Amino acid sequence: MQTIQRIHRSGVGVGPDRTIGEVARVMERSGIGLVAVVDGDDLVGVVTDRDLVRRGLARGLPIDSRVDAVMSSPVLTIDADVDIHEAYDVFSLHRVRRLAVVDHGRFLGILSLDDLLVDAASDLVALVSPLAAEIAAPHRDSRVPTATG
Amino acid sequence: MEAHVGDRIIVRGHRVGEPPRDAEILEVRGADGGPPYLVRWAENGHESLFFPGSDAYIQHLGQDAA
Repeated sequence: MQTIQRIHRSGVGVGPDRTIGEVARVMERSGIGLVAVVDGDDLVGVVTDRDLVRRGLARGLPIDSRVDAVMSSPVLTIDADVDIHEAYDVFSLHRVRRLAVVDHGRFLGILSLDDLLVDAASDLVALVSPLAAEIAAPHRDSRVPTATG
Repeated sequence: MEAHVGDRIIVRGHRVGEPPRDAEILEVRGADGGPPYLVRWAENGHESLFFPGSDAYIQHLGQDAA
């Protein structure tokens, strides 16, 4: 399965000149913890709710500071058409919870470790279901023939 | 996904009880009607660049709400 097929949440992008206050409100309204910073078609950075706190609030930056002052750049990305198992490896190697998915450098959306776990749990339930049914109500073939005579 | 200016984007809620959100498409930035879209959110009038995932769908102009 391709990585792009596992993007469940829509992504939101902002320009690098937007303020950290505006970005915080975008996160709150959208229920997301990561916003892409885009300049035209180019993904120039990402900013997380944690970045706003650690690089913004904790350092006393004013709320009207530009978001590019707190964003992460360059961005850890993964190509949209790679197999999802490659994404697993990237998550494992870099110990991140979200990855920016790109197509030839263009931002497409966010791949979330949380969503992958929910998918995996759902797959597991589907696999276990027939076993659970068998345990609860064992299926038996027709009566075993008995010897006569 | 293909959209035109004036269409609406509907995004389902991700938490229990969270209502869907909707926005009007102001600009189509991708090729052939594809994303990203510059949108204006109905709830507060703010604009942002939107990259739809599987939680979003297009309601074309003149199409009744589902």
